[in-house]
Amino acid sequence: MFFDLQNPALAAEFKANRDSVVARYSLSSEVRSAIRENNVPFLAERTNAYLLRYYFFATGMKDAEFARRLRGG
Amino acid sequence: MADFAGAFAASHGPLIVREWESIPSNDKQRLEKAFKELGRRVTAARLDVLIAVSPDHWANFFLDNYPAVCIGVGETNEGPPEPWMKAYPHRNLAGHAAFAMHVAEEALRQGFEPSISHRLKLDHGTCIPLWRMELPKMPALVPMLVNSIEPPMPSLARCLEWGKLLRKAIESFPGSLRVGILATGGLSHSIGEKTMGAIHEEFDRETIRLFGSSEQDLIRYLGKELPSRGNGSEEVRNWLVAHGAAGGRGFELVDYLPVPAVIVGCGFASWR
Repeated sequence: MFFDLQNPALAAEFKANRDSVVARYSLSSEVRSAIRENNVPFLAERTNAYLLRYYFFATGMKDAEFARRLRGG
Repeated sequence: MADFAGAFAASHGPLIVREWESIPSNDKQRLEKAFKELGRRVTAARLDVLIAVSPDHWANFFLDNYPAVCIGVGETNEGPPEPWMKAYPHRNLAGHAAFAMHVAEEALRQGFEPSISHRLKLDHGTCIPLWRMELPKMPALVPMLVNSIEPPMPSLARCLEWGKLLRKAIESFPGSLRVGILATGGLSHSIGEKTMGAIHEEFDRETIRLFGSSEQDLIRYLGKELPSRGNGSEEVRNWLVAHGAAGGRGFELVDYLPVPAVIVGCGFASWR
C-alpha cells in the first residue's frame, strides 16, 4: 500500500478516505491500527525507511514531525 | 571507439527541491554554486552520453523484484514521478539504446549480471542534480540503478569493479561518443530511521580524503563505518562506481557542506 500511495490519485483518495483505501489491502489488525493512529515507530519496524518517509509525506506529515515520532517523541 | 570523458558526483536529497526556499541563504548559495560548477564541468566535457548512477527510490521497483543493478537500455527514459518534482522541465529524457545495450552485453561477457529495463522512470536521485546543474544541453542518459536503499546491497568492492567495467565498456563501444558518468547521492544522511536528520561530517570528510587515497583504504574505511553512519550514506556506492571508472585516480572535491535544512552532508566532486 505504501508503494502504491506514490500514485498521486491514490494518495488523494487516501487522504479523503483512509479506511476505504486500507480496506483493499490484506493487513493485520495491528498494522491497520498503526496506520489509523499514525504509529510511526510500529510501522518503522516493518517498512523500508525510504518508503515509510514517502508514506508519511503523502499523508501530509512534515519531515520534522516524522523524525520526532521516529524517535518515540 | 567511444571516449571516457569524465566522472562527476553530486548529492540529491529531496529537500534540495522540496525545502529549497527555506534553506539558509549561505548554504543555498554554496549549493547553487557547487551544482553550477559541476554543470560547467559536465558541459565542458561535451558529453554525448551520460551514465547516471543512482538508487531507485521505489519509482520502478518494489520488494517483489528489486535488482542489485539495473541498466536502462531504452530509447527514452521517463521523468521523475514524484509529485514534488512536477516542475522539473523534462517529462521524457532521451536514452542511448545502442550504447546501453553494449554496456549490458559487455557486463554479461565479463561475469556481471545486471537487470535490464527498456523503460525506466528517473526519480529525484537522477533528476535533482541534472536540474540544479542547469545543463544547456542534456546528453543522452543511460541510467544505472544501484541498490543502496534495501538490504542486501551490492558490495562496495563490486561497485568499484562495476566502474572499471563501465570504463571498459565505454572504450570498447564501436562508435564515436564522449561518455561521462554522474554518480548521485550521499554523503551522510539518515532517512526514516531513529537517527533521521543526523549528518556525520567527520565521516564525510574522511571519506572525501580517502577518495584521494588507495582503493583498499577507502573500501576498508567505508566497510567499517557505513553501518553506523545513516542509511542514506550507503549511496556512496554510486561514487565508488564513478571512482572505479576513473581508475581510482583524479578525485577532485568541488565542495562539501553539511546542510541541516536538507538533512544531508552535501558533496560535489569530479574526477580529472
